[in-house]
Amino acid sequence: MPLGRLLLRTSAVNKMVSRNFFIASKPDPSKPNMLRVGLAFGSTAVLWALLFKQHSTDVHEYKTRNWLE
Amino acid sequence: MGLLPDEAKVLRPPGIVNRNSVWFGLCGWATAMLHNSLNRRPALKAGVHRQALFITVGWFIGYHLTKYENYKYATLDRDMNEYIRLHPDEFPEKEPKTFAEIVEPFHPIR
Repeated sequence: MPLGRLLLRTSAVNKMVSRNFFIASKPDPSKPNMLRVGLAFGSTAVLWALLFKQHSTDVHEYKTRNWLE
Repeated sequence: MGLLPDEAKVLRPPGIVNRNSVWFGLCGWATAMLHNSLNRRPALKAGVHRQALFITVGWFIGYHLTKYENYKYATLDRDMNEYIRLHPDEFPEKEPKTFAEIVEPFHPIR
């Protein structure tokens, strides 16, 4: 079997590990991967929420332990 | 506080805006911009989601690093003060000298 046929099979199973020479394309900036963008913004929001929550918990703990309130 | 013991909670927590957070946030932003440059994209206008994520991760790490740093310095101060309290003979009180006693005589050469 020609090697090209085997390589065509490769593209269907391991898109992550390597890019098949025959079907690879340059990343297109005009068509963003909205899933990845959404995940990035979502995890950004989650991290900020975690940070603010941790900060308010810390402030509350500090005030409680030093009998400031 | 995952890597800090319970006693660290008596310390004043750092503000959301603190030195380490700002620095790590800026480093994250520089990393995102470098990533853009190396992939031949406009440095500031491309991949805003990536810039935001990197800044946030840096800010987060900086906040917890500041907390850890405060705790470490506080333990050092506590140990030092405890040592001074337990060894008073090594830290005698010296009466303060005036400048007149310390300063050497002035001989102007004109």
